[in-house]
Amino acid sequence: MAPPVEPKSLAWSPSSSLSSLLRDLPIVFAALALLFSFLSLARYWASPVTAQAPIQLNPGALPRYALFSLARIIIAYAFSLMLTLVYAYVAAHNARAERFLIPLLDTLQSIPVLSFLPPVMVSMVALFPTRQLGVELGCILLILTGQVWNMTFSVYASMKSIPREMAEAAQTYRLSWWQRFIQLELPYSAIGLVWNSMMSVAGGWFFLMACEMFVLENHDLRLPGLGSYLQTAANAGDTRAILWGVVVMVAVIVLMDQVVWRPIIAWSEKFKFEQVEASQTPHSPVLDLLRRSRILSRTVRATVAPARETLTLYFGRQHASSRGGRGWTKWIARLLSVAALLGVLYAIAKMTGMLAMLSRPELRSIFVGAGATFLRVEFTLLLAGLWTIPVGVYIGLRPRLAAIAQPIAQVAASVPATALFPIVLLFLIRLGGGLGIGSIVLLLLGTQWYILFNVIAGATAIPTDLKEVCDVFGLGRVERWRRLLLPGIFPYLITGFVTASGGAWNASIVAEYFRFQNQTFSTTGLGAVISHATDSGNFRVLLGATVVMAVIVVTVNRLLWRPLYALANTRFKLEG
Amino acid sequence: MNPPVTEKLRASLSQGKWDQAVAVLQRLDPDAAADLLMSLPFEQQQLLFRRMTPDLAAALVAALPYYHAYVLLHARPVDEMSAIVDRMNPGERLQFFDELPEEAWQRLMDELAEKPPAGAAREGGAALEELPAVSRAAPAEPIIEARHIEKSFERPDGGQMQVIAPTDLSVEAGEIVALLGPSGSGKSTLLRILSGLTPPSAGDVLWHGKPLAESIPNVAIVFQSFALFPWLTVLENVEVPLLARGMKHEERHRRALGTLASVGLEGFETAYPKDLSGGMKQRVGFARALAVEPEILFMDEPFSALDVLTAENLRGELMELWTGKKIPTKSIFLVTHNIEEAVLLGDRIIVLGRNPARIRADFRVPLPQPRDRHSAEFLLYVDYIYKLITQPELQPGPPSERPAKIPYQMLPHARPGGIAGLLELLNDHGGREDLYHVAEELRLEVDDLLPIVEATALLGFAKSDKGDLEITPSGKTFAEADILARRTQFRDAVLANVTLLQQMHRALTSKSDHAMPVEFFRDILDEHFAALEVQRQIETALHWGRYGDIFTYDPETDRLLLDQPVSSADAGSARLH
Ligand SMILES: Nc1ncnc2c1ncn2[C@@H]1O[C@H](COP(=O)(O)OP(=O)(O)O)[C@@H](O)[C@H]1O
Ligand SMILES: [Mg+2]
Repeated sequence: MAPPVEPKSLAWSPSSSLSSLLRDLPIVFAALALLFSFLSLARYWASPVTAQAPIQLNPGALPRYALFSLARIIIAYAFSLMLTLVYAYVAAHNARAERFLIPLLDTLQSIPVLSFLPPVMVSMVALFPTRQLGVELGCILLILTGQVWNMTFSVYASMKSIPREMAEAAQTYRLSWWQRFIQLELPYSAIGLVWNSMMSVAGGWFFLMACEMFVLENHDLRLPGLGSYLQTAANAGDTRAILWGVVVMVAVIVLMDQVVWRPIIAWSEKFKFEQVEASQTPHSPVLDLLRRSRILSRTVRATVAPARETLTLYFGRQHASSRGGRGWTKWIARLLSVAALLGVLYAIAKMTGMLAMLSRPELRSIFVGAGATFLRVEFTLLLAGLWTIPVGVYIGLRPRLAAIAQPIAQVAASVPATALFPIVLLFLIRLGGGLGIGSIVLLLLGTQWYILFNVIAGATAIPTDLKEVCDVFGLGRVERWRRLLLPGIFPYLITGFVTASGGAWNASIVAEYFRFQNQTFSTTGLGAVISHATDSGNFRVLLGATVVMAVIVVTVNRLLWRPLYALANTRFKLEG
Repeated sequence: MNPPVTEKLRASLSQGKWDQAVAVLQRLDPDAAADLLMSLPFEQQQLLFRRMTPDLAAALVAALPYYHAYVLLHARPVDEMSAIVDRMNPGERLQFFDELPEEAWQRLMDELAEKPPAGAAREGGAALEELPAVSRAAPAEPIIEARHIEKSFERPDGGQMQVIAPTDLSVEAGEIVALLGPSGSGKSTLLRILSGLTPPSAGDVLWHGKPLAESIPNVAIVFQSFALFPWLTVLENVEVPLLARGMKHEERHRRALGTLASVGLEGFETAYPKDLSGGMKQRVGFARALAVEPEILFMDEPFSALDVLTAENLRGELMELWTGKKIPTKSIFLVTHNIEEAVLLGDRIIVLGRNPARIRADFRVPLPQPRDRHSAEFLLYVDYIYKLITQPELQPGPPSERPAKIPYQMLPHARPGGIAGLLELLNDHGGREDLYHVAEELRLEVDDLLPIVEATALLGFAKSDKGDLEITPSGKTFAEADILARRTQFRDAVLANVTLLQQMHRALTSKSDHAMPVEFFRDILDEHFAALEVQRQIETALHWGRYGDIFTYDPETDRLLLDQPVSSADAGSARLH
């Protein structure tokens, strides 16, 4: 039974090489496909500007569009990741920068994507006037502005909450900044970063239509992609094309989920900061495939491992030989902060000048819109809460049902509501309702999932013994909700509402203003004001409306959600 | 101390002239001689003590701390011991006996009553013959020396709270220093300062004579929570500090594997911390610390998170590495709140007081390793430490220079149930008992027992005296009363003695609606305690107040409500409304 002994180094039996080749085959194909896609992308980006690429509505064009959109989202995500790591690292390590960076982050997070459009586009097109690359970069940066903030916040919060003794271990053993980052801070932030990355990328799909096709200073810009395809189909009222587009988008999202996110989640499991083995761990066949692959493990051993070793040793030696910050880095930091301060002052002066020019009707439209959107968002949250709390608790209390429902809900949630807008709108218009009701449905589609997921998680986490106590005391339905269920899910519910509230404000820009069948549907609201101002190139109004929205979102966060959050974390925490 | 005399003594010792050294001591007055003797290494003390006349030895036994005298006394054969004790003057002898805990006293009595075995005297005599000259002339310079260090943190109300009062402390080569103190006394803070993790608010820390901040101290820390990186394997965890030192792959690997083997973790290299038990995790913590071959190994309650057996095991293995000189570490600095652990491991024990932390005692434990928990000498030290920490007035050292404002009374964190349990036990034992016996019987660590003892003292139910706890008449009444009578008695005792509850009661009775938000009292406490302590004070006050029927607490509104029908007088006045 035992195979004859072979020299160990050259153990290359035909059967083993064949099976390992078969195992590696998918990876080889994936690499070739990637190469091909990259080549076609490169050719397209280097091509001269064609700002108004005609979007073909035949399904055959869809794979190419999907590829373009996917590439944009991936690149935007890569930039987001880099920005996140730098921003969060600086904020977590430099107390002086932190005092400025964190409020700034709070504000940036509350600014809707479209408000970034004009400055981003204008500067990128100016940077690369003759190549498609400029417009593309603009679009990518636009997607980035919708992705990056929550990731940054998560990494920052993780880095700040590293357990004291672990940080002290790193300090006593004199880890260089690099080793500390690689071996402590990044792994500690990994779980939060992965979940927020998923949410961010989903956000990217959500705003794809707005980012790929827009009007800027009377130029109708459109970039070939799934978003512009859907938008064009909606404009033309072509239901069949809309359906095709939605199907392809869902397919891409589900594929990404299986091929990218699931493996990453399963892999990131090892960064869970718990000292005991969890009973149920996420599992991914793709990850297993990658783990078993010989080519991959060899490549990693030949490239990543030595690089990491060299870098860590390099920074370790540097750290050991120098104590304290060197003079010139301090000077550079000082110079940068002075420059940043001047820039901010200049921007504030410009902004005030622009805001002062707002006319009275414009101001009124902004404030009326703000009021309307405020009511709409709160009403949406109420509606979402009304259905998700009972359903979520029902599911969460039944583990077997939860195991079935959770993946389904995840796929449902990953379908960007914007893609469904045209269909929903078509339906609503047939029914005779305008965008007034429609926008609420659209907001609901976009935000209810956050609450549902959190409620399910909260209900699952209620300890069994507490449930049994309720049974023993024969608590009635009302008492049960009042004494056990609501307090139990409260912290989770608040988390869900915080995310949903921010998301709803941001989504109002696409929900309140929609171009469909060559008409523009819009309703009173701040989102509509912003979208309209972008379309018509009215920067004053755009700026004013953006400032108002940021102020409202930040204020609501500070005055309502944060205290509730603190309350949830002290009084309603279930110690188990 | 008198430098010329010290020099003379050292000189005689280094030349092996023991009799001359004894003569030096003989000429001093007993207190000075005792001080001088204590400054020597214990082996030399023993040798000198054996050479003394019974008269000198008797004078020194009276002048030395009783626990030390007891151990020194046992350096001589029984008949000589008996002679020395006979020569002590009666008052001092009585005091010496009185201070000994029961086991030690009993053993001494037995020994003195017993006829000395025939060979014993000769054995002692034989030991006298081989007297080596002492090679080490002057004591080595300390590895770490802290001069007048202080530490303050910001209080919730913005003021400064001093956690460590000005303290001098040094750690020398060859010793295990055990730093002992109740939780929250500032042990970890002191460890952080000495290991260079945080700078002191004032004062200097020197590493081999140079400022610590400017040196690169070779130290390692073992943490209570292990502080391993869960995403790295056992081997990678141990390699972390080696990688930081720029050690190349092969050497790093070899060193890490070697260290892992020395702590008994062979074969666990590729496991992740979460796959290991608590004891194994702490082994990894030890391996990571030992891998860098630290000059001083710091340990912050390294055994507290482990179960009793595992802890005992690990302590034994650590001591094997240390006493067997299998690790190049020169000194170990161990933080603990466990008295037995300190006496078990420490060559030197430092006892910290709290609010703010200051050194209450710093003494050597010259018992040989491995130590027997049940030996009379061991219990002697345990008893002494109990005595020390239950008697605030026993503080050595000068009073602090600036007269601090009178601190706000701090409630010991004890539940009424614990207080009742302790009093019942005490009452059953005839009203008086050694504290370490009580701890053993109740299976409580000193950290849990001490607050209860303090609470009984605060309420006038018992008083502690020289390591014993004695019940008072009111404590006896309490222990024998039924539950209702207990609560009334508790209420009276609390209102007579406890500032915070007096304040609460006064506020509640004077307000027309007899209700008060707890926040109000939190604000008062914020001026006196750190945030965590404020919370604990409030919690304890709520327990006590509710047990004593002083008020009820409504968690929904976070308010206190006066408990109406508390006594007949109150009930009468309530009826008038
Ligand atoms: N970083 C800090 N900020 C504020 N207070 C602190 C800090 N570290 C410790 N303290 C306070 O100092 C006191 C002593 O703490 P610590 O040294 O951890 O005590 P121990 O280790 O003896 O339990 C405690 O009251 C604690 O609340
Ligand atoms: Mg501590």
